[in-house]
Amino acid sequence: MASLGQQGGDESDDGMDEFMDRFRTEKYKNAFNESNWEEEFDTIPMFMKKVPDVIDPMKHPELACIQAIIHDDDRSPEEQAQGLKDEGNEYFKEKNYKKAIVSYSEGLKRNCADSELNAVLYTNRAAAHYHLGNMRSALKDSVSANKMKPNHLKALLRGAQCCMELRKYGDAQQWCDEGLRIHPADKKLQELRSTADKQKREAERDARKAKLREKKLRGQKEALLAAIKERGVKLMRITKPVREEEDGEGDEGQVAAGMGELDGLMSQEATGSCVFLDDSGTLHWPVLFLYPEHCQTDFISAFCETSNLLDHLAVMFGDELPPWDADRKYLPHNLQLFFEDAESERLHQVDVTAPLLKVLQHSRCTVKDGSPSFIVLVTGSSYSKQFLSGKKIHWLK
Amino acid sequence: MLDESKAKELLPFLTLETRPDVKGQATEYILGVTATRDGCRYLRTKPDFLKALLTLTTDKSIAIVKDCYHSLINLSADETLHQPLVKEANVLPTLFQNLLDPGYMFSDRICTILTNLSRHEKTCREVFRVLQEQDIGLAKIVEIFCTEGFNKVASLHYLGPLLSNLTQLPETRQFILDKERCVVQRLLPYTQYNESTVRRGGVVGTLRNCCFDHLHHEWLLSDAVDILPFLLLPLAGPEELSEEENEGLPVDLQYLPEDKRREEDPDVRKMLVETLMLVSPLPYIKTILCLAAHLLS
Repeated sequence: MASLGQQGGDESDDGMDEFMDRFRTEKYKNAFNESNWEEEFDTIPMFMKKVPDVIDPMKHPELACIQAIIHDDDRSPEEQAQGLKDEGNEYFKEKNYKKAIVSYSEGLKRNCADSELNAVLYTNRAAAHYHLGNMRSALKDSVSANKMKPNHLKALLRGAQCCMELRKYGDAQQWCDEGLRIHPADKKLQELRSTADKQKREAERDARKAKLREKKLRGQKEALLAAIKERGVKLMRITKPVREEEDGEGDEGQVAAGMGELDGLMSQEATGSCVFLDDSGTLHWPVLFLYPEHCQTDFISAFCETSNLLDHLAVMFGDELPPWDADRKYLPHNLQLFFEDAESERLHQVDVTAPLLKVLQHSRCTVKDGSPSFIVLVTGSSYSKQFLSGKKIHWLK
Repeated sequence: MLDESKAKELLPFLTLETRPDVKGQATEYILGVTATRDGCRYLRTKPDFLKALLTLTTDKSIAIVKDCYHSLINLSADETLHQPLVKEANVLPTLFQNLLDPGYMFSDRICTILTNLSRHEKTCREVFRVLQEQDIGLAKIVEIFCTEGFNKVASLHYLGPLLSNLTQLPETRQFILDKERCVVQRLLPYTQYNESTVRRGGVVGTLRNCCFDHLHHEWLLSDAVDILPFLLLPLAGPEELSEEENEGLPVDLQYLPEDKRREEDPDVRKMLVETLMLVSPLPYIKTILCLAAHLLS
C-alpha cells in the first residue's frame, strides 16, 4: 500500500500502522472457526459441493434467495422455460435423469410460444426417458417434439432409436426415411436405417422359421393321432371331463378334439414321456405296471407295440427281483395281468404273449391319459384272491 | 381416314369457354384422331392443337379431361411427337406440377405420358432437365414413388418405368447410386412388390441399368445396400430345404413359406438374371447360372 507521503514520518495519520499491528495480534470478527470451517464452508452457496434436495429457507436462506431469483415468476414464459431447460440440461449432464425430466416438464408447463424451445424440451425429455429405459414415454415425447418442429433432427433420431429399442423396425425405418428426406446426407440416420432394415429382415426370418417349425410339429402330432386311430386304439382323458366325440362330426371337429387329447396326453404325463411314432411307423407307448399288493409301480417309457408283455416281464423280473418282492413271488410266469375297463369297472385279463398293440385293440380297452396301465398280481396268491373278490372279471379262455 | 378440314374446324372449339356438349364432341373426335398414326403425324405440325389439349386438362368436366389425357398418351407414344409436345406445347411443367398434387386424379395418366416421353434418350434429357428446372428433382420423384398411399386416387405404378427410363442418363444413375444418400436402398424392397408388375418391372429395370457400372458393385454388394438378396428372392421358389441348407442362405431367403411363388413375368425374370450376372461376385455366378438354367428350361 502506497504510503501517503513521508510527511508524518514513521507515524501515519490514518491509523494504518495501528490497524496492521492489531491485525497480527487480534483475530478478526466473524472469522471461520478453526475446527469446523469446512462444515461452515458447505453452508455458503458459493462453496457448496452438494445442494440439498429440498431447500429449507430457514436453514439456507441464501440458497432460497438464489432459487427464487432463478424461478422468478415475473419473468416471461419463454425466459422461464429457457431457465428450466438449462436446469434440466445440468441435471442431464449429471445423469440425474429423473430430475431432468421434472425440469423439462416444468418448462413445458410454461406453455411458451416458442415452438423451437418446446421442441427442444420434448426432445431432451425424450432423451432422459430413453436413458432411464422408458421407451414408450421417450417415443411419445419424440412424437411431440416432431409435431412442434417437423425437421428437428435430434427428435427424428431419438424417435427412430426408441422404435429400435421397442423392436418396431418398420416404424424405425419410417422415422429414418422422414429424417433423410430433410437431411439426406446425415450419417447417423443412414446407419440407423440400415440397422433397422437388417433387424427387420432378421425378425421376418425368425417368424418364418417359427411358423415352419410349428407347422412341422403340428404335422407330426396329426400323423401320430392318425396312426393311433388307424389302429383302433381308444384314447381317454380321465382328469378332465370326457368330451363326447360325436360320430359324423366334420374332420375339423375330430382333429380339434383329437389335438386337445394329444395335448392332454403330452402334458398330463408325469414322467414327461409320450407315445411316439418311430421312423418305421411303429408306435411306442409309455406303459405303467401297478402292483397293488405292495403299492408299487413300474414304468416303461417306450414300450414297442410289437413287443409282448411277457418279454418285458422276463427282464423286469429276471435276474434280480425287485426289492419290495420280499417273498420272491413275482416270477414272470407266475403273474397275471389285467386292465381295467373304466366304464364298467370290470377287469380284463391280458394275454401276456400277445403284442401290446393287440392288447390295446381290445374292444373294452381304453388308454387313459396317454399311458396304458396294467395291474399285476401273483397267480393264486391270497392277496390276489382278496383283490379280485367282489369284482367282475373277464378271464382269458 | 383423317379429315383434315374437319380437324382444322375443330380447333376454335377446343377452348375452356366453349359450350360443354360441343367441347365434349371436339375432344372425343381428337382422341379418335390420335388413335391413328396418320392422325398423330398430322397433329405433329399443329402445336396449337397440342396446347389446346393441355389447357383443356384443367376443364371442369372429368370426361373431357380424361379424353385429353388419353389423347396426350397416344401422342406421346409416337416419338415424332416428342419435340412438339415438349418444346412447342411445353407440356412438362404442367404435368410435373400436377404429379406433385397428392389428390390429383389423373396422376397415373401423367406417369404414362412421362414414361413414353422418356423412352428415347433425346427427350429423356429434356424430361430430366425440366425436372431440375422446376426445382422438383429426382429426389422428389423417388420419394413420391416410395411413399405408400401418397396419392389416394392414383397408384403411381408407372413411376417405376419412368425411373427406369431416366436411368439411361448417367446423372440419374449417379443420383440413385449416391453413397452419401439413401436412394437405391429405398427401391430394393420393390423387387418383391406383387401388386403391380409395372412397378416391380420398373424397379428391376432401374437396378439393371444402375448395375452396368462396375465401380459401384462393391458398395452395392456390401451391407450398406445388400442388393443380392433382393435380386435372388424373386427367383427363389417354394422348395423345402433342410435347416442346414437354410442356415447357409442369406437371411432373406431362409425358411421361405411353401406358398412362395417365383417371379412370373418372363421379362422381369430376364432382367433379374441379367442384373445378377452383372453384379454377382464370382462364387455366386455358378449359383446364378444354375438358377437361370432351371428357370429357362
